[in-house]
Amino acid sequence: MSLIDVLPGLQSLSRGDKIRIIQYLARELERDEESPIEPGQSYPIWSPDQAYSAAEVLLKELENDKGQK
Amino acid sequence: MTVPARRFPYSSRSPTLPTGSQSPFLPLVLIGAHRIAVSGLVDSGAAINVVPYSIGLQLGFDWKRQSQSVELRGNLESVEAKAIVVSAIVGDFAQVRQAFAWAESDSVPVILGQVNFFLEFDVCFFRSQLAFEVRPKGAS
Repeated sequence: MSLIDVLPGLQSLSRGDKIRIIQYLARELERDEESPIEPGQSYPIWSPDQAYSAAEVLLKELENDKGQK
Repeated sequence: MTVPARRFPYSSRSPTLPTGSQSPFLPLVLIGAHRIAVSGLVDSGAAINVVPYSIGLQLGFDWKRQSQSVELRGNLESVEAKAIVVSAIVGDFAQVRQAFAWAESDSVPVILGQVNFFLEFDVCFFRSQLAFEVRPKGAS
């Protein structure tokens, strides 16, 4: 079926149905993108981001470690 | 001296999400009182290195005897941690000293972060090829 076949049918739809068609097509297009991030899945991010004070402590420990060698 | 980079493959962390869970895990040996082989997540967004509780124990550390506390952030914010320093060997590269925040939790992987994994090693990620390369600093 081509777009030309579908268009007259779409034009005769009510405003509400046209909006539903738009939403349906948007969902279909989203699915076609094949996003590797799947809805409903959990993706833990373990990075201790901005742990700068911890970084300072570790650097000091490395300095102490160097002094002991 | 020119030391060639070593190339490592990404590995999948979840059988149900084989593509989305591909991550740069680096095999390395950690040496404390004991020597153990681990796999660490090479994480350029992590400020620090982290080891889970069980790994610290296997390395021979005693939680009560480690006095230097460190404050974790991100989703490890509620987890207590202590500073430990061990030796690490990556592939056939020379042994280096690495400081870790030893987390009082096993729900965290070994993380190799800016302090001080990235201070010792240069890393190139080739995510599209599911590979990454590591070489010691200043070895170009």
